[in-house]
Amino acid sequence: MNLIRVRKGYNIKIGGQPSEELLSISRPGKVAVVPERIPFIKPRLKVKQGDAVQIGSLLFEDKRRPFLKFLSPGGGTVADIDIGHRRVIKKIVIRLDPDERAVDFGFLSESDLVAISRRDLVAKILEGGLWSLLRALPSRDIAPRDAEPPAIFVALDDLEPFQPDPSVYLQDQEPLFLFGLKVLRKLSSRVEVFARQATAGVLKKLNGHITGQVAGRYPADDPGVLLYAIRRSSTENQTWYIRGQDVLLLAHLLKHGNYPTRRTMVVGGNAAQKTGHVHARLGMPLAAFRPFAADGMNTRWISGGVFQGYPTGPDSYMGLYETAITLIPEGLHREFLSFVRPGFNKPSYSRTFLSWFNSSQLPYDSNFHGGLRACIACGHCAKVCPVDILPQLTFKAVLAEAVEEYLALGLMDCVECGLCSYVCPSKIELSSILTAARREYHQEQSQT
Amino acid sequence: MKPVKNFFDSIRPHFEKGGRFSRLYPFYEAIESIFYGPDHVTRQGPHVRDSLDVKRFMTIVILALIPHLIFGIYNTGYQAHLAAGLPLDFFPVFTLGLWVVMPMVLVTYAVGFFWESLFAVIRKHHISEGLFVTCMLFPLTLPPTTPLWQVAVGISFGVVIGKEIFGGTGRNFLNPALTGRAFIFFAYPAQMSGDKVWTATIYNNNAAVDAVSGATPLAIATLTEAPERIEQVLVDSGYSFSQMFWGLYPGSIGSTSAFLCLVGAFILIILGIASYRIILGGVLGVLMTGWLLNLLAGGSSLAWLTLNPFYHLVMGGLAFGLAYMATDPVSAPDMENAKWIYGFLIGVLTVLIRVFNPAFPEGIMLAILFMNLFAPFLDYFAVKTVCKKRIPNV
Repeated sequence: MNLIRVRKGYNIKIGGQPSEELLSISRPGKVAVVPERIPFIKPRLKVKQGDAVQIGSLLFEDKRRPFLKFLSPGGGTVADIDIGHRRVIKKIVIRLDPDERAVDFGFLSESDLVAISRRDLVAKILEGGLWSLLRALPSRDIAPRDAEPPAIFVALDDLEPFQPDPSVYLQDQEPLFLFGLKVLRKLSSRVEVFARQATAGVLKKLNGHITGQVAGRYPADDPGVLLYAIRRSSTENQTWYIRGQDVLLLAHLLKHGNYPTRRTMVVGGNAAQKTGHVHARLGMPLAAFRPFAADGMNTRWISGGVFQGYPTGPDSYMGLYETAITLIPEGLHREFLSFVRPGFNKPSYSRTFLSWFNSSQLPYDSNFHGGLRACIACGHCAKVCPVDILPQLTFKAVLAEAVEEYLALGLMDCVECGLCSYVCPSKIELSSILTAARREYHQEQSQT
Repeated sequence: MKPVKNFFDSIRPHFEKGGRFSRLYPFYEAIESIFYGPDHVTRQGPHVRDSLDVKRFMTIVILALIPHLIFGIYNTGYQAHLAAGLPLDFFPVFTLGLWVVMPMVLVTYAVGFFWESLFAVIRKHHISEGLFVTCMLFPLTLPPTTPLWQVAVGISFGVVIGKEIFGGTGRNFLNPALTGRAFIFFAYPAQMSGDKVWTATIYNNNAAVDAVSGATPLAIATLTEAPERIEQVLVDSGYSFSQMFWGLYPGSIGSTSAFLCLVGAFILIILGIASYRIILGGVLGVLMTGWLLNLLAGGSSLAWLTLNPFYHLVMGGLAFGLAYMATDPVSAPDMENAKWIYGFLIGVLTVLIRVFNPAFPEGIMLAILFMNLFAPFLDYFAVKTVCKKRIPNV
C-alpha cells in the first residue's frame, strides 16, 4: 500500500463536525430528482405530471447522449415538475405510495459477474440508470460509454467539511462494496482505492483492497488531486473516478437487480444544533433536516460541503451526487471596523490575524468579509492550489480568452476545490471563473 | 456605534443604484467600508471566505510605515534645529517636524484620493486601498524641503500615469509612489538633489545650513576620493555606522532609519504581507556586489570600491526601498523563484548606480523601477519552466 503525500491544500477550522452517530429519519412523503445539479446534461423529460412511476422508472434522459438515463428514486406519482428560467428543469417531485414498487432489472450473481462481457455490463449499468455515477477526469463529465479508461479511482474519503465517514457508510456493507470493486475491475484493468491513513486503519476488512493511503489537507483525497500526484504520463489523464458510497449504489443495482435508494448522509456545520450521519433516501426532501438547524438563526443551507456544495433551502431536495447537508450562519451583518480588529476569532489562511495562534474551532459564516477588489498578486491562491495551477495567472488568461495560455497553465487539472476563492483577499470568484472555463472548453471539445 | 450605523444606513440609499448620487458610489463605499465591513454574502461555493481583505492587507503596510512617519517628523525637525543652531529639545523639534511634514502628507492624500476617486467613479470601480499605501510611501521618500505644489504634481503623476492609465491597482507594472518620485526627481532637479534640500529651513536661515553642511552620507561618499576611505570621511562628517543605522541624519523624510526598515520588514514578513525572497535577495545582491567591488578595487581612485558592503545597507533609501517598495506585490513578479532574482538584481543595480554613476547619488529608486519593467519578463521564464514540468492535460 503506497502512501501519497499531498503537500498543498488547506483545512479550515470550522466547527460542527458530524458525529459518527447514525441517526434515523422518518420515511419522507415525497422524493425528487434535481436535474439542474447534474453537470453537462440537457434533460429530455420522459414523464409528465400525474404519471405513475416505480422505483427505477425512467424520468428523463440526456438529449445529447440519450443512453444516459435518469431513473426515479421512488415509487408513486409525479406530483410536480418545476421548470425554471429558460426552461431549466429544476426538479421532478414524486409523491410516494405507501407500498412502492420497483422495476426489476435482473440481478447478477458472483459467477454471472465473472462471465458477463464488459459490453453487457456497461449496457446493464446504463439500463439501471447509474452510469452517471462514473465520472471522467479531467472534465468531471459523466464517463464516456465507449471508452476504456486507463484507470478507475475509488475515493472513499472526502476531506471537504463535511462528508460522510467511510467507516459509517461502509458499516456492514463491505461485501457489497467488494462486489462493486469487482464490477469496476470489469470496466478497467486498473482500479485504485484511496483512503486517508486514519480511515485505512479503521477499515480492516478492506485492507487488502485499499491501494493507496492519502496524507494531506483538503482536498488531498480528491481523485483529481491524487491523479495529479501519481500520474506518470498524459495517457492517464482520462482516468475515471467514483465516490466510495456510489460504489455501493452500483453494486446494489447489479447484485439485487433494483434501483438503490439508500444514501448515508451527514448533517453538520457550525449552525447545526445536532450533527451526525443519517440513513436517508436518494432525493430526500431537505425539509426532513429542519430539526437539525439551530432555531432562530439565519442559516445558510448547503447541499454538499462548504466548498463545493450548492446553496439550497429546506424546500429543496438532495441531488444525485450529494451526500451532505451543511448548515452555516448567514453573514448578513456589517461588522464595525472589521479590518483593524486583532481577530483572535477570525479565521484566516493568512497570518494577519491573531487567530493564527488559536487552534480551536472558529466561527465561519457566509459573509465575504471584504469588498471585491482587483487582484493584488498576493499569491495566496497559488500557495493553496493542490494541483499547482497558479490561479492568479490562469484566471487572468481565462478572462483574456488566451486559450493556449490557460491550457498550458493547467486549467484542465483544476479540481474545482474552491480553495483559491476562499483565500483570495480581493474576493475574486477564482474557482467559479476557472470552473466555467473548464466546462466551456470541455463542451466545445466534446461537440467536435 | 449606533449613530454611525444609523448615519450610513440613512444615506446609503442615495448612493445605491437609482439613488441621486449613485455615480459616486465608489467614493461612498470607500468611506463606509472604513467603518463597516460589507454585508455581502456568497452565492456559490466556497460558501465561506477568508477574513483577510485587501483593506486589512494594505492597512498593515500603512501601520508598518507609521513609525517611519513619526521618526521622519522628528528627524526633520531635529536636522532643521541642528542646522539652525537651535536647542534640540523634543517638543519644539517635533512640532517643527509636524509643521513641515504633515502638509506634505495631507496634500499627498488629498490629491491622490481625488484622482483615485475620479477614476473609480468614471470606471465604476471600487477605490482600492493600495492608494493609501502609495500616498503614505510617497511623502516619506521626498526631501523635507519639497514645495507642496511639487508634492501634488508628483503624486498626480504617480497615481495617474503610474497606475490609473493602465487600469488602476492590480494592473500597474510600476510602483506608483516611485513613479511619482522619479518624475519630480527628473522634472525639478533643483529641488530634489544637491546638499541643501535635505534639511528643512525655517526662519529664512539659509546661512545656518551652509555652516553645518546638509550633505547626506551618499553625497559625501560620492565626493570622497581614494585613498581616503568613505567610512573615515563619514565619521569625520559626523555620520558613524550606528548613527546611519538608527537614522538620525539628513535625508528623505521617512527613509533614513535602517533600523525601522528592519523592524518593518520583519513585521511584514512575519505577517506574510511582504515577500522575504525579495528582501533577502536584495540584501544578498547588495552585499555580494559590494564585496565583488572590494575585490576589484586595486589602486583605483574610486573610493566607493573599497567601501564595506554593509554601509550600502544603512546609507540613503536602500533599506526603505527594499522593505516597502520592492515588495509591492503588484509590480513585483508573481513567481516565487522570480522574486529571488528580482530582489537580487535590485540590490546589484542599486550598488552599481551608486558606485559608477556620480550623477545619481541614490540608486534604489531607479533600480526598483527598472526591475519593475523586468518583472513580467522574469515571470515569463519562471512560468514557462513551471508549465514545462506539467504533464499536459489537453
